[in-house]
Amino acid sequence: MGGTVSDDLGIGAGHSALMEAPVFGIQVKKLTMWLFIMSDALTFGGFLFAYGYTRVSSPNWGAPFEFPTILNGIIMTVVLLTSGLTMLAAVGAAKSGDKPRSVRWLGATMLLGAIFAALHLREWFKLFGEGWRMFRNPTGGAPQFGAAFFSITGLHMAHVIVGVIVIAFITMGFRSGRFDSNHVETTGLYWHFVDVVWMFVFPLMYLLNAH
Amino acid sequence: MTAKSPNREPGMGFYVAVWIGLLIIVAIEVALTYQHPSAKTLLAWLLCLSFIEASVAALYMMHLKYENPKLFWSLIPITLFCLAILDYLWPDAYRIVTMGAMK
Repeated sequence: MGGTVSDDLGIGAGHSALMEAPVFGIQVKKLTMWLFIMSDALTFGGFLFAYGYTRVSSPNWGAPFEFPTILNGIIMTVVLLTSGLTMLAAVGAAKSGDKPRSVRWLGATMLLGAIFAALHLREWFKLFGEGWRMFRNPTGGAPQFGAAFFSITGLHMAHVIVGVIVIAFITMGFRSGRFDSNHVETTGLYWHFVDVVWMFVFPLMYLLNAH
Repeated sequence: MTAKSPNREPGMGFYVAVWIGLLIIVAIEVALTYQHPSAKTLLAWLLCLSFIEASVAALYMMHLKYENPKLFWSLIPITLFCLAILDYLWPDAYRIVTMGAMK
């Protein structure tokens, strides 16, 4: 504070002199995405803790999922983890300036995300066909099972569908030059978070209920 | 969490190794499930394995390891603390049933 007022305010030193340095050395959009991810992690955490306690404290919960359902869950897991890998390839290509390759990998990520959602919906409709509803358990076990399963997997599936739409939007913008590699990287962060959530949803909602 | 330069981020070969590692953890989870342990034991094992899986994904796939360490220390401990508080508060709801608080 030893200089003049104009020195302190950086007047005459250009617009950048008035700008704060980026927090943690990353772009604001990336920090915002991290903050969103943390808050969303707490949302899923709340759901999963509630389900976990209800599950282990209900003696009549049962284990309704036969192996075909578990196999479908395993395939969904492999598809989603692979989409994380294709997203990493897309981010890497975007950072190295190879736009066409990045767009191709983003397309592969969207395709895998769509396959995941389709497999998930197929599973849901199969369960509806067997008589499962939000508060109806056709096996005679705890009726809360349907509420827990459809709400937690539904919330995750909504994240996947939104993710596919956002990736499509970012891909179009990146292709046209409206968005840069930082947008691709920030979108990648969200997509990996969806992956991370599934790493808890699959074992807790599927494996813990395997017959 | 030590490197800041994007140049020090690993290549696709490393990420493929991470992907294979994650698939192996999923395979262990499935194998454990079909040993048919009690629900509480299985829940504990699955949570531990999922936590390892999520940590690997956050550090390497989400690049947290290659960001400024301040980002990690500002976000992760407080999130884990909040999750621990959730874990502490949920079973308290059973007090209504087990301690007769409604009487």
